[in-house]
Amino acid sequence: MKDRAMNGAAWRILPFPSASSSASRRAQRKDLLSALRVSESPVIVDFSECRSLTFEDIDLLLECLGQAAGRDTQVVFVAGSNANRLLLEVTRISSLAPVFISVEEVLAHPQVAARCDAADRACEDRACEDRANDHQGASQSQTLWSA
Amino acid sequence: MELGAFVMVPGGDDFTGIREAQPHGLAAFENPRAPYSSRMPILGNDVLRSWMDRVRKLGMQSLWLASGAGAGAATSALAEFARQGIERLLVIELKSYAEMDLADLLRFHCERRNPVTEAQDAGGQLGVRLLDRPALRATAEKYESCCPPTESVRNPYQFSGYAKRILSARERQELVGDGLTGACAMRPLGTQIREQVWIGEGVKVATSARVIGPTYIGADTIVRAGATIGPFASVERDCVVDCGTTVERSTALPDTYLAAGLLIRNGLVDGGHLEHLGWGAAADLESAGLGSRISRRGSRRQPFSPAPTDDCSRGENALPWNLASSSAVAQPWLQVQL
Repeated sequence: MKDRAMNGAAWRILPFPSASSSASRRAQRKDLLSALRVSESPVIVDFSECRSLTFEDIDLLLECLGQAAGRDTQVVFVAGSNANRLLLEVTRISSLAPVFISVEEVLAHPQVAARCDAADRACEDRACEDRANDHQGASQSQTLWSA
Repeated sequence: MELGAFVMVPGGDDFTGIREAQPHGLAAFENPRAPYSSRMPILGNDVLRSWMDRVRKLGMQSLWLASGAGAGAATSALAEFARQGIERLLVIELKSYAEMDLADLLRFHCERRNPVTEAQDAGGQLGVRLLDRPALRATAEKYESCCPPTESVRNPYQFSGYAKRILSARERQELVGDGLTGACAMRPLGTQIREQVWIGEGVKVATSARVIGPTYIGADTIVRAGATIGPFASVERDCVVDCGTTVERSTALPDTYLAAGLLIRNGLVDGGHLEHLGWGAAADLESAGLGSRISRRGSRRQPFSPAPTDDCSRGENALPWNLASSSAVAQPWLQVQL
């Protein structure tokens, strides 16, 4: 698990299970899903180490999307190859989350950057609003308290 | 002057089991070799048959067929033709569909007194050439299909009619589109049920499935509930398109199963193998559980039967030039009555 910063936003890069033994894969799968469950940053699920995707891998990608959708976390996939990317198109996963060939491509992609900036701005706006509300609330309460 | 015709089916084909040994797991390769055969039907049509019809129009009664013929096999074949006294040979490598008037090619060849005439269009060679005996002998000594004799390059037959390379997935799909829209002479093999929609015999389409023209669905194919076929799709014979799957601007070759809920767009699917026409990328659908080859008893996957019939004979007795016994090629050669 790595964190990469871009335009002030931290991306969490989560590796996709690629171990040869099924026990290790199960452990990696568990780690991936728990990381998705708690991550507060946008997430890159990187399966570029997988030479070809199996039906279990596709199920897991769908599960990742489900986790992210439940928490409103931005998820992008790094396919590593056009073959993997093609499978994501065929399964329609690419219509649910952006798919890139490499992590560098994700970070360089203006739309993702824009989304990220927009997310940052939205966060900042929310924070400002919260501060303003807090301030207003405090004033009101102060007023109320004064009254 | 005695004219012979020789058709070579390129690649690892044979007439008895097309691509049965094709390995899976091609996903690792971004540009694998063409995963399908030039004998695979296009809108239900066999391109070999179209060439045979053109040869028949020259007044010829038979031709020779060889399969899996590499440069070595072709060399020995041409050498044998030269030895047997053929004075002029029409050689067709089955790598393109071209609406070519072979009589015009022959006329051009005779008028120019070329020892070799290679047909080409703006995209290059079409795999059709005429060789006179001296050239046949010389070419047989050093035959390279990708490097024709210099005489043919100097005096090529420029073909300006309709032609597509059928070994290229993209051009093949273009041919499908042109056949469906009437932009070429090839017509889908089936019944036209409405404008630009053809279906073969025994097709089953669920009532909730959508068929959007221009589209072709080959014989005995099953299209299940909620699936969408088209536009510009060709699902060849004996395929199954499962529930909710969309096949758009794509071809599914015979005996292909496509799992439920897929989106096949700008692709060519052959069993468990998918090639994207735009990216050139290939993916293994089978290991992902998304598609596979349907194995059927007595499959009609072989579009051309090798069994000796009235039309087609094999073996020494049927070979006027004794090619089979003298040839070192692994595949048998066939003489086909036209």
